[in-house]
Formats: sequence, structure tokens, C-alpha cells
Amino acid sequence: MFRRPSSAPSSADDFSAEALQFLEPLFATAMRLTRNRADAEDLVQDTYVKAFRHSEQFKRGTNLRAWLYTILHNTWRNRRRDASRAAVDVDSDQVEQLAAGGIGNDRIETPERILLRSTLDADLQAALDNLPEAFREAVWLRDVEEFTYAEIAEMLNVPIGTVMSRISRGRRMLYEKLSAPAAPVAAEAAGGRR
Amino acid sequence: MKPTCRRICDLLAEYADDTLTAEQRAEVQHHLDACPPCRTIAGKECGARQLLRACADRLRAEQVPPALRSRCHELSRQSANARLWSRRAVRLAAAAVLIVVTGSMLSVVTRHSDALLAAQLTADHVKCFTFFGHEPGRTLDAAQAQQMLREQFGMDVHVPPSSGPGGLELVDARRCLYAEGRIPHLMYQAKGQDISLFVLEGESRPPAEVTAFGHHTRIWSRGDRTFVLITPAAEAPAAAARYVAEEAR
Repeated sequence: MFRRPSSAPSSADDFSAEALQFLEPLFATAMRLTRNRADAEDLVQDTYVKAFRHSEQFKRGTNLRAWLYTILHNTWRNRRRDASRAAVDVDSDQVEQLAAGGIGNDRIETPERILLRSTLDADLQAALDNLPEAFREAVWLRDVEEFTYAEIAEMLNVPIGTVMSRISRGRRMLYEKLSAPAAPVAAEAAGGRR
Repeated sequence: MKPTCRRICDLLAEYADDTLTAEQRAEVQHHLDACPPCRTIAGKECGARQLLRACADRLRAEQVPPALRSRCHELSRQSANARLWSRRAVRLAAAAVLIVVTGSMLSVVTRHSDALLAAQLTADHVKCFTFFGHEPGRTLDAAQAQQMLREQFGMDVHVPPSSGPGGLELVDARRCLYAEGRIPHLMYQAKGQDISLFVLEGESRPPAEVTAFGHHTRIWSRGDRTFVLITPAAEAPAAAARYVAEEAR
């Protein structure tokens, strides 16, 4: 188990210490979200600035990890909007339609075979980075971070039904990228944004 | 896409997550058995989830740049300073560093859900049997395996010996790749099927059964020790598996 100062943060000290335990997974999440080390560092730092500043708004006994992830995602959304980079996010309805109809690759490998690849970690990371953002964040929060649909809906500020369809389609796209025989996803990702 | 298929597809996220009610699950399963296109889609969703779960710890373990780490600790110190007197804040920073360091070093098994534990140990099962495939006909004496567990892990485990029902043979005992080698992995074969038994010391959890990567995982505890048994889901060597589960203590 994580070593906790006490079962619930009982003072500002405990709150900070407990919040800092999540530095590593928050940074990994920020890396997948921004796909850029400098942006990820900024994002995580901003998240902690806000968390410490508004610590009294955190309800004791509720899930601190989920609260921090919500701040992280809100901060990222605001930043994208402020920098008027929203255009990059494509129209997510359009993306979802694309994903609903556009997948047709039925020549898939078995998970067991993919599992045995020596490059599995790098392939997975590249395939994730290659997903449109809306799907990437939903799949990451569910399958890597194990948040519930309701928690993810709150973090992403979308209805639960949308979360589920993004997870569903995101997983499908991810699997196809992984099983595509000669598609070096890592190269595509490297040539992506920024 | 037919209306039935669309309705079933809406349930696939939860199907892959194994959060459907038994009734819904049966309905989905029934449809998938009869509908190859939906089966393909379900295979992709389940496959992606299982792979992500198996690699989740490594994906989350992104190296935090030291400068970022110290900036965040500095932030915590400043915010504490603003509220509290400074001596307390210094103590906090020291405590925080300690906690973060301990937290990141522990490749903790205990906090994982059954599904994640099953996915990771199944991944190890598949890899160990593929990469360290033992020499045909080689078997390991249970007493030797017990001695290895005592010496390397400080565990006093009763290892189910070979010659159980279904031609069960103990073929190898290794350090599991998972959890930084702190878990022993006992490898068995029965009728050409691979069986793994993992032992987690100092851990007790409710019994559970999970299927991932075409393998069946059974988790149970005896006192302060948890056992994880992995067999192929299809043509499972049931008698041999039962024997291992009953004998392991």
C-alpha cells in the first residue's frame, strides 16, 4: 500500500505530502496528454500550484487522486483554449463519426502475439500518442489509471455515455494500430504535432 | 450496422471491463457467438484493454524530471509556509520526499485490482513459458523448489509435487519478472498445457476468478498468503489445476 501519513489528510502537511505522491502518474498522464516534455512539466507544475492554492476546497475523505486528475485536465483544456489551439483538437464529433464508420481492418493479430513483442511498451506508447486526443485521454484514464466512468466524465466534462463510446472506439483504434503489420506507429507519432 | 449489433456494440466497453450484469453479459456473449463482425470488434476492445492493463505500471512510471520534482516540493513548502509556521513546513518537505521516494520504489501488488493482477501475471505466465521454455522432459523436484523459495524469498511454502492427476509435472521455479522479482513463479505442465502458480506473501484478498489473454486466473488466500493460479481458458487441465490449488499451502 502507499504509505500514508494517516488514513485521511488531517492537516495542510498531510495534504501536500499525499498530493505529491501522485507526481509520477500525473506526469505520465501529462506526457500522454501533451505529447511534449516541456508542456507536460508546465502542466504538472500548474496542477500543483492550483491544488495547493485551493486545498481547502478539497473535501476530506473523497478521492484526492481523482481531484488532482480533474485539475490537470481542466488546466489542460483551459490552456488549449487560451492559446486558441482548439483547432488542433479537431471537431470531436467528426472524429467520433470517423471512428464509428471508418474502421475496417479485420486482419488482426491475437493479443497473446502482441504481448510477446519486445517493443511492446514503445509500440503501445506510440499507438496511444497516435490516437486523437479525445480517445487517448479516455482510454488512458480507464485502462491505465483505472478511474470509473463517472470519475472520467467529471474530469473530461462530458456525459458518461460519451466517455463509454470514446473508450470503446479508442480501444478499437488502438488495437488496430498495434496489429497493423507494417505500420511503424512510432514514426507517425514522431511526425505528429510539434 | 444492424440495430442489434449497434445495441451490443454500445455494451462492449463494459463487456471488456467486465462490469456488465450477468444477464447483460450473457446477452452479449450470445450475440457474439453468432455474429463474427461484432466478435472481431469485441476482440479488439478486449485485446486493447488487456494489453494496457498488463503494461499499466510501466506506462505510468514516467521518469519525473528532477527539476520538476523539486519545483513541486518547493510549491508545497511555500503553500505550507503561507498557512503554517515555517518549522513545521521544513519537516513536511522532508516527510514528503521520503513518501514520494518510498511510493515510487514500491512496485506494489496490493493496491491492484484482481483484473490488473490477473493481466500482469498472465503476461508473465505467457512470457516465461515462451522465452524460458524448459527442456522437454525436464522436471523439478518439489523439495528443491521449496528450498529455493526458502533461500531466495524467505518463504515456507508447500510446493505441490509432480505426478498429480492429469500427468502434472513441476517443470521450473523462477523469480517472477513482475514486482521486481519479489514473487516466486512455479511452472507446471499437464498434458502439454502450461500452468503457473504465483505466491504473494503478506497479502490476503478475497477469492476471485478472472479471464484475460485467453487464460483463466484464479486468486485465493490462505491466511497471510495469496496464491494465483493461471491455466489456459480453453481445454483447461482442470483436474491438475484443482490438485495444485488444493496442495499449495
